[in-house]
Amino acid sequence: MPRLDRLPQLNRNNLLMLPVQVNDTAPFTRLVTPLAAARLAIVTTAGLHRRGDRPFGPGEQTYRVIPSDAPTRDLIQSHTSLGFDRVPMMRDPNICFPVDRLRELIARGELCGTGPHHYSFMGAQRDLKRIQEETGPEVGRRLRDEAVDVALITPT
Amino acid sequence: MLARALEAEGIATTCISMVREHTEKTKPPRALFVPFPFGHALGRPDDPHLQHRVLRAALDLLTEPAGPVLRDFPDDAEAGVEPPAPAQASGIAPADAVPDDPALETAQMRQYHEQWLARSGGRTAFGLSGVPATRFRGAVRFLQAFAAGEDADMEERPADLPLVNFIRYCADDWKALYFEGRLAMKPGVTGDDVARWFWAETAAGQVLRRVRDRLDASEDPRWKAAAFGVAR
Repeated sequence: MPRLDRLPQLNRNNLLMLPVQVNDTAPFTRLVTPLAAARLAIVTTAGLHRRGDRPFGPGEQTYRVIPSDAPTRDLIQSHTSLGFDRVPMMRDPNICFPVDRLRELIARGELCGTGPHHYSFMGAQRDLKRIQEETGPEVGRRLRDEAVDVALITPT
Repeated sequence: MLARALEAEGIATTCISMVREHTEKTKPPRALFVPFPFGHALGRPDDPHLQHRVLRAALDLLTEPAGPVLRDFPDDAEAGVEPPAPAQASGIAPADAVPDDPALETAQMRQYHEQWLARSGGRTAFGLSGVPATRFRGAVRFLQAFAAGEDADMEERPADLPLVNFIRYCADDWKALYFEGRLAMKPGVTGDDVARWFWAETAAGQVLRRVRDRLDASEDPRWKAAAFGVAR
């Protein structure tokens, strides 16, 4: 984002008043393989999903599964907050879901591959309890089962 | 938060962060702060070179021996290209002469939207409401009736979907039709240009201002939240 001091006051206040969890430390899993031998999946909070999937409702803490070979014309975004500009995403989904860039990295041998699926959550969440305790860990286990080493987490 | 949950399951994560102040508090294991406007996480649309640089900077964090790591992407946002946050309806005055027939205007915008679909290979943000573009005039009538205070509903609304969510999806689809249509009409415009045109010069923009007003007048917090999503 724009640095906070450059935002209009209304936006700035909205952001500063969001209840944000404060942590002192972070869990840490070292990547033991080099990236060129690693498999990556995108986990986005852009509220993306396949066209036939049920759209996200506001504050919904479930997730959607996106096959990593799904063409971007089959995807739609139900995170439509007025807090961000939707035009960049209309022009180029890589702006937050960089599947074409990943294909290029794989073709150049800089990344081994992607997992069979990418995952998507709804953005602009306030209460994160269920993501923290249930759906987040569930996606973590699915990624592990799919032999994914790295998750790239992208916002809208 | 999501990063922490995945990392705890043994997946190495790297995040792109748009709000440094939040990331400093939540402390994901690895995060790259980018100074771009909201909606521009990887920099600029159709700029693979910049997108690769952002991606590379995020992936480079995976070589750090310990965390949490929060690093700044070295570039600054380009001044004057796009505002840091989108322009909102409340800050844009309606033009002196705005078309007064939303259905006719929608039919015209649909022709531009067809051009958009041809150009984008079928990729579109339209489709959340389930009302097809060919019958979207019905959704326009529905939103007009709702804005006028009537008891409006549509048979396309799934029985388990609350009316307020359906209103939001219809409003989002209407905007998508216009925004993408406008991009087909004037390919060089910025997102800011499109938002200003929509709220100042279109009949649709004025109907959605009134939809917002009715939602916002409700005591129901879900209606108020939807109002905030339709127009601010």
